[in-house]
Amino acid sequence: MVQVPKKNELGFFEIRLESIGGLGANLAGKMLAEAGVMGVGLNGVSFSSYGSEKKGSPVKAHIRFCDIDARIRDTSPVERPHVVGIFHENLARTVNVISGIYEDSTVLVNSKKTPEQLKEHLKLKGGTIAVVDATGISLEENNRVNMAMLGGLFRLCDFLDPEFMKGVIRKSLEKKYPGAVQPALNTFQRGYDEVKFQTFQLAEGDRMPDFVRMDTPVLGYETQPIGGTITNPGNSILKDLSISRAGKMPHFDDEKCIHCAACDNVCPDFCFVWEEQPDKKGRPQMFLQGIDYQYCKGCLKCVQACPTEALSSELEEEGYALAHRVAHRFDLAL
Amino acid sequence: MAIDIRKETAGRVEQRIVYESGNEMAAYAAHQINYHIMGYFPISPSTEVAQFLDLMKANGQHDIVLIPADGEHGSAGVCYGASTAGGRVFNATSANGYLYMLEQMPVQSGTRFPMVMNLVCRSVSGPLDIHGDHSDLYFALNTGWPILLCRDPQAVYDMNIMALKLAEDPEVRLPVLVASDGYFTSHQKRRVNTFAHREDVHKFIGEHPPEGFVHVLDRDNPITVGPYMNEPDYINNCYQQSMAMYRAEAVYDRIRKEYAELTGRDYPVLDLYRMEDAEVAVFLLNSSAEIIKDVVDQLREQGVKAGSISPNMIRPFPAKAIAEALRNVKAVTVGDRADSYGGHGGNMVNEIKAALQTYRNNDTLVISRIYGLGGKDFYAEDGFKLFEFAIDAAAKGHVEKPFDYHGHTPGDPAKAPKRVLEPMKYEDLKTGLITVTPDEETGKLNVRVPPLRSLTKKPKRLAPGHGACPGCGIFSGLELFFKGIEGDIVALYQTGCAMVVTTGYPYSAHKATYIHNLFQNGAATLSGVVEMFHERKRRGELDHLGLKDDFTFVMITGDGGMDIGMGPAIGAALRNHRMIILEYDNEGYMNTGAQLSYSTPIGHRTSTSNVGKAQGGKVFHHKDTAQIMAATNIPYVFTGSEANPQDLVRKAAKAQWYAQNVGLVYGKILITCPLNWLSEDKDGSSIIEQAVNSCFFPLYEVENGVTTITYNPEEKGKRIPVTDWLKMMGKTKHLSKPEYAETLRSFEAEIERRWNRLKAKHENPYL
Repeated sequence: MVQVPKKNELGFFEIRLESIGGLGANLAGKMLAEAGVMGVGLNGVSFSSYGSEKKGSPVKAHIRFCDIDARIRDTSPVERPHVVGIFHENLARTVNVISGIYEDSTVLVNSKKTPEQLKEHLKLKGGTIAVVDATGISLEENNRVNMAMLGGLFRLCDFLDPEFMKGVIRKSLEKKYPGAVQPALNTFQRGYDEVKFQTFQLAEGDRMPDFVRMDTPVLGYETQPIGGTITNPGNSILKDLSISRAGKMPHFDDEKCIHCAACDNVCPDFCFVWEEQPDKKGRPQMFLQGIDYQYCKGCLKCVQACPTEALSSELEEEGYALAHRVAHRFDLAL
Repeated sequence: MAIDIRKETAGRVEQRIVYESGNEMAAYAAHQINYHIMGYFPISPSTEVAQFLDLMKANGQHDIVLIPADGEHGSAGVCYGASTAGGRVFNATSANGYLYMLEQMPVQSGTRFPMVMNLVCRSVSGPLDIHGDHSDLYFALNTGWPILLCRDPQAVYDMNIMALKLAEDPEVRLPVLVASDGYFTSHQKRRVNTFAHREDVHKFIGEHPPEGFVHVLDRDNPITVGPYMNEPDYINNCYQQSMAMYRAEAVYDRIRKEYAELTGRDYPVLDLYRMEDAEVAVFLLNSSAEIIKDVVDQLREQGVKAGSISPNMIRPFPAKAIAEALRNVKAVTVGDRADSYGGHGGNMVNEIKAALQTYRNNDTLVISRIYGLGGKDFYAEDGFKLFEFAIDAAAKGHVEKPFDYHGHTPGDPAKAPKRVLEPMKYEDLKTGLITVTPDEETGKLNVRVPPLRSLTKKPKRLAPGHGACPGCGIFSGLELFFKGIEGDIVALYQTGCAMVVTTGYPYSAHKATYIHNLFQNGAATLSGVVEMFHERKRRGELDHLGLKDDFTFVMITGDGGMDIGMGPAIGAALRNHRMIILEYDNEGYMNTGAQLSYSTPIGHRTSTSNVGKAQGGKVFHHKDTAQIMAATNIPYVFTGSEANPQDLVRKAAKAQWYAQNVGLVYGKILITCPLNWLSEDKDGSSIIEQAVNSCFFPLYEVENGVTTITYNPEEKGKRIPVTDWLKMMGKTKHLSKPEYAETLRSFEAEIERRWNRLKAKHENPYL
């Protein structure tokens, strides 16, 4: 009988997936859990965190495994994971993705970076970093990121049976999308094979940081205006939505722009920054200055609307958005 | 290590293990029962129940007739009517949806027609919280429905089967509510044992409802259902109902024993865990009552005689059994997952105190705590806290603080909200670039709109940073409309994606003043705001605010809001308040997971109009909301799209003039939902352009009753076949297959019919 390799005080081996909506972490979590429960006869539970946000916003999936005769009662989120799967490395900018890990936990990251670089990036004190370039693999194999991540997670959870998973993949795809079966299997297998590990010892005398409960609010009953009224509306400008971009972004070429506002008319996220300047005849006229990438989710509607080639669709390279951002000049009260 | 004290013996019936969530199990049980009718309206977190049933229906796995109602009030009506007609009836709802149908609940129980409804418990609230607590459940306590509780997905399955047998029992004859915890139970997957064969389910519940009870389909035995009944008779009807309710406890006890013999799973009225010698206890309902058992085990290891007590049925309330279970307990903490504001405790603690008084147990100390509101998670550490209160009281011999909240936080004064943006300047919003003047001769408005480039100078009403999906059509559509509006607005958004993603607390993307109300009532609510504005202005009470012009009042709604809120929208239109109703139509209830709306076109795939061997998408035609609103004879009705920006901005300018000077304006913009239309994010505007060019969504206006087509794709040589538009979306890909040819033809014919009628109206001012 299969048993979980590590247990917390309630007998659970716990996994948390950190992702953005749309990358398929919820589905990957479900498949992983099913492989444990239906595949190797463990007991288990899986669920996702739900908020008001939609596709492109941070989400978490939670999986617990235990021995078949153990009873599952806990419904609270996984705060102390043995394994973390990070589907988008930039999540670490806004979310503490490694919150609550043990010094012998393993953190799987979808990244091209080295484990050392990721240790810095995640501010990891101790534990094992596993890296797989899931995005690269999925682009090459013409399949989804979550399949490569799932492969990597199976490598980390060696009590699960990858062959069972392949059967599930085959069964769920072959009827409707027979052409997608082999790419999905290849992506899964490459995710499994291409994981690189490195373990970092916790420094002598240091300790792992405590976790902060996920349901801890910023405001409280003494600071929250009554009735739930928001008295500082427009404060959504403080948010950074750039992690919503799933690989592509628009580039702006000032030289080719005719300032027709077609882009501005279709942008759902109000990213275009305009300024009034004198035109050739000295009359005041609006001129497009550029894109505020802090809010751009990479939908590329603007590229399609642009009648010239001023806007183009490009693969996002690290640092480009920061270097080329034209920030909105808000009338700040702060 | 979690040890299971509850004995589980294998049952006599063949079973099959599945790995599913609470919602899936409610649907699974319903499909095995093969109810006749389900009337429903989507609301999180219960929505999935109808979705799973629709998916199974599309695959030919059951015969239940699934009826998408126009709101929960309507769904309760569908179910009530169906139950008077003698078959088996099912529903599932949550929270505000339950309260919207609340008045129907005592009608159903008081006239004694059985059915089963799942209440997937969720917060009922002002600031909108969609997560799980028991505030909806507590409203059910006085409806006259027996209430069964489910602590996990296994119990959801089992209780759903037992509930029908209970409801139909000759001694009971009442509708039964099956309550589980939203998200904690509804969305968490677990191993669940099920009947392997539907026949075994039918053997247990009976293949058909029991004979011998009245229904409305027997012409030889006509009956009158629901007469007008005053005193002195009404009290006797209530007494009958009260007796039936109390009998339900014994009937349930019999049913659960039969069920335990069959399946090996037993659900006694009270779920007692290590209570035999317990000195301190915690009383909770549903999912948290499971978590507390882990805490009990840990406390027992420390030598504390702890126990947990939790009912599987709260109507009828097992008062005597609870009093007996607590007889030797020194102190019990009762956690209520909803407050009864001002009642010095939630409903459970007060009923428990009453039970202790009735059965002469005056020694057990009772501590009341309100916890877990709005889905705030219940961790084991919270369980320890609840036990600490009881341990402390038992040691001291008195309760320090009888009533309090647990889990609330004061907040850090340094992080209190501060204004981030200065208010928009009136001068910036009143650009003077747009002019609207009435034409005495034609009775219409002349509008001058500058190139759209100039209007980029006007501040946007919405701030970036909202949480909509990439490529969402709502916000480009709304802001384009607002470009045509000069000066200040007050906006009301009905519940929907636009509301949810712009106001995730403590953030708001609304730079102008904004109100939310639930989506059956936005039009009425904004009517109140409009009339208060004019009356306070008339009384001179707004003089000190230095308003430079009247506000333009705009209600924003999705097509879903125009389904459930159609009545109030028509009411506001008939009263002709000076306001605008702007509908963004994305052809479905996208906020709750892409269920069909009445605006979803025929054949289109949604999560409640699935495509499979037994069903090919939605089965009836899309609603023509613009024509319905035009029939109220309001001064101005229009349709618009972001693919025709100048046209939309002109219509916005007209809308503003009419809303400030004459009365109500209704406009509909078609917008893309790439997530649920299964289309590319970047294609949003192009898909809408093709919808317009196919004549599915004609651009026109009805000004003072006269129809004008403002963009005619035929005249421009732009008309395309409907299929050219449909092939751009994943949700309609199947319509090009031969097996759906009939649906496609029907859709094309309907588009053509409506387009021809519109052209006739355009030609003739009297039509």
